[in-house]
Amino acid sequence: MAETQAQSGRQAEGAFGAYVKNVRDSAKSFWEGMSVTLSYMFRKPITSQYPDRMSVSVNHTIPARYRGFLEVDMDICTACQACERACPIQVINIDILKGDGKLVPKLRMERFDIDIGKCMYCGLCVEPCPTGAIQHTREFEGAVMHFNNLTLRFVPDVLQPVVAYKPPKGADAFPRKQLGEITRSLIKAWDAPPPPFPSKEEAAKAEHGKPKAGALDVAAMGRQLAARALQVKEDKPKLQKVIEEAMAGTDCGDCGYPDCFGYSDAIAQGKDFSSEKCAPGGADSKAMLETILVTLKTGVVPGPGAGEVSDGSAGGHHKNMVSPEGVSPVSTEVEKPTGPPLAQTLSKDELYKVVLDAMAGTDCGDCEYADCDGYSKGIVYEGQTDLNRCAPGGEDTRVKLYEIMLGTKPPAK
Amino acid sequence: MQGFLDNLIRNAGHDPATWPYTQFVYLAGMAVAALIVINFAAIASGIFSWAERRVAARIQSRVGPNRVGPAGFLQWIADAVKLLLKEDLVPDEADQFLFRIAPYFMMVGFCCVFVTLPFSHSLIVADMNIGVFYIIAVTALIVVGIIMSGWSSNSKWSLFGAIRSAAQIISYEIPGGMALMIPVMLAGTMSTQGIIRAQGGLPWQWFLFDNPAAFAAFFIYFTSALAEGNRTPFDLPEAESELVSGYNTEYSGMRFSYFFLVEWGNLWVMSALAVTMFLGGWQIPGLSPERFDALTGGTAVVAEIGSLLIFALKTLFFVFVVMWLRWTLPRIRIDQMMSMCWKYLVPASFAGVLFVAVWMLIVNAAPWLGLAMRFTLTAVGALTIAMFALRVLKNIRDTGDKFDFTSNW
Repeated sequence: MAETQAQSGRQAEGAFGAYVKNVRDSAKSFWEGMSVTLSYMFRKPITSQYPDRMSVSVNHTIPARYRGFLEVDMDICTACQACERACPIQVINIDILKGDGKLVPKLRMERFDIDIGKCMYCGLCVEPCPTGAIQHTREFEGAVMHFNNLTLRFVPDVLQPVVAYKPPKGADAFPRKQLGEITRSLIKAWDAPPPPFPSKEEAAKAEHGKPKAGALDVAAMGRQLAARALQVKEDKPKLQKVIEEAMAGTDCGDCGYPDCFGYSDAIAQGKDFSSEKCAPGGADSKAMLETILVTLKTGVVPGPGAGEVSDGSAGGHHKNMVSPEGVSPVSTEVEKPTGPPLAQTLSKDELYKVVLDAMAGTDCGDCEYADCDGYSKGIVYEGQTDLNRCAPGGEDTRVKLYEIMLGTKPPAK
Repeated sequence: MQGFLDNLIRNAGHDPATWPYTQFVYLAGMAVAALIVINFAAIASGIFSWAERRVAARIQSRVGPNRVGPAGFLQWIADAVKLLLKEDLVPDEADQFLFRIAPYFMMVGFCCVFVTLPFSHSLIVADMNIGVFYIIAVTALIVVGIIMSGWSSNSKWSLFGAIRSAAQIISYEIPGGMALMIPVMLAGTMSTQGIIRAQGGLPWQWFLFDNPAAFAAFFIYFTSALAEGNRTPFDLPEAESELVSGYNTEYSGMRFSYFFLVEWGNLWVMSALAVTMFLGGWQIPGLSPERFDALTGGTAVVAEIGSLLIFALKTLFFVFVVMWLRWTLPRIRIDQMMSMCWKYLVPASFAGVLFVAVWMLIVNAAPWLGLAMRFTLTAVGALTIAMFALRVLKNIRDTGDKFDFTSNW
């Protein structure tokens, strides 16, 4: 009996103790909690009042590796287009002009646009860049009056294409401009008023006057390369050089080899039979490599077959011209049924001028004469019968020289 | 108020008792007073909505609205205009009539409190002899408005919110009312001005420090007032995470703004009532109410403004405390809310009333004991505040921060 009384007494004490404890606990938690919140009342808020009430300029608060707007230093851009291919959402647009590498530079870019409005700042384009030309800057303020203005154009003028940078062999550092300079200057012009819209006449004039410079006759060049490759078939180093010419030459490494040498050497050694691996070269490189591979296999240079007629007429009206002088379309002259060739009607001096005219005029020396003058004289005065030597002039010059000297179409190489 | 109007009539050369237009003057006086009071309530709650956001921001290390006007002060006007211009949407399935009038019930219940709530020595709409009782009675109208809005919305969230609110207000009116009985007993009157006059300007003359029961009653009243005003930690009726927005879920535009007006206006009501009942109201230290009454001319005006300022500052401090509490305490669970009321506050408030009854007899027999208790409790209160301030400074220092109230506004 006494025991149960003591027990219930303890229980009552326990219940009362818990009651008091609850009151004490709540008072204590008020004390702690309210002292903490009030202490924050008397501290400086962490907020940065961007943009107008910053204590320091926002540019100084952005971390060094911030992924802001992209920037391309065109001076060290190899035009490999690795960034364009890496971009998962097609933000980067690069238009390439191909030349033969002699008369006109092999690769030029007439457009390098990055649509910042679409960019998601993933940085995938920065990683494959062989020279570090494309980088994220720390610029991020992209408020513009029209979203079209958000496109950064790193080639400001289509009419003045930028020549691709050829990195020195083995280089691992490249002379890059101060990061951010280029993009900042482009941003400054973002909301500048657009130039006046050209009138219809002006637009038409501009369209016609536009020099269709530096485009490439892919099929012809492929055949030339194939012919040269056939000549040096057994000399692997020389063969490698010939094959490398069919490639874009950006050393981008997309093919799986470290550089263009690796890929071309593998083809030359007969270890690789794929013509599709040169991504920067695209369809052009693929076609040329295909021609070379077929030629090496069969031992015969394919003629300008039905599939390649396009290089004469249909294949885009600027693709069939070789020289910037824009000689008149070949096909019309070839089809003209004329009488005896000029070589039999003109005097030698006049003939010499016509022959000299037909050449590319780059004085490249590929013909093994000192210059174009020498080759022309050789043909006219010295009885040189090989009319196939003008490499920069390519198929066009060949056609003309055969027309002038023999009055026939040139044979397949 | 009536005396003031009678004086006006007498000054115009009429006898208020016989002049036929006396009742019209009274009516006009009432209209003007109502206009002033309602506008005061609306503007005060607007300003509190801005102040609450600034306080909340500061406590959370943010800045808060600071762009519209100086320090963002005009933000509340922008928000009010926005709310007034928004579409007034009434749900299809709602009880149209009740849905439309519910906000006005809340407004009425809220604005009626201002009738007996003093602002200064003579600024009061009507000094009724049942002032405190009247305040407790008219605040019950708010419950009617809440139940109406919750029921008529025909939405389960609104209904749950309304029922929670009703349960909460009915429960907490008991400890709140009992706690208010203690100053009523000490002053011997229910008139709000009478209660203030029974206190003094200095802390040990306040009812807060009169005896331990009154000291506890202040906290019981304040807790109950928070619960009745649906303020955190008792904001279960409008718990966002559970009930979207509680009883006002279906409201929009101007009607919605009434609910918010009442919520923030309540901050002033609960704080002003606390100041009136426990903290000496508008009393100026060293100036007894009798000498105040005798003042004339410029001194009277200065003293009036002084008393207004003292009352307003005390009230605004408690408005700040309520905001501060909101950003400190998490919402309590509904069973905790009920157990806190019925197991702790109700018994404590009843015990307090009994204690004060006994205490008044003791003090009557031995006045020195009452005086000693007043000074002791004041000292304890001052010590508590000092320790709390030190604790706050320590909290700031412990994290390597500096005391900085002026930068980054």
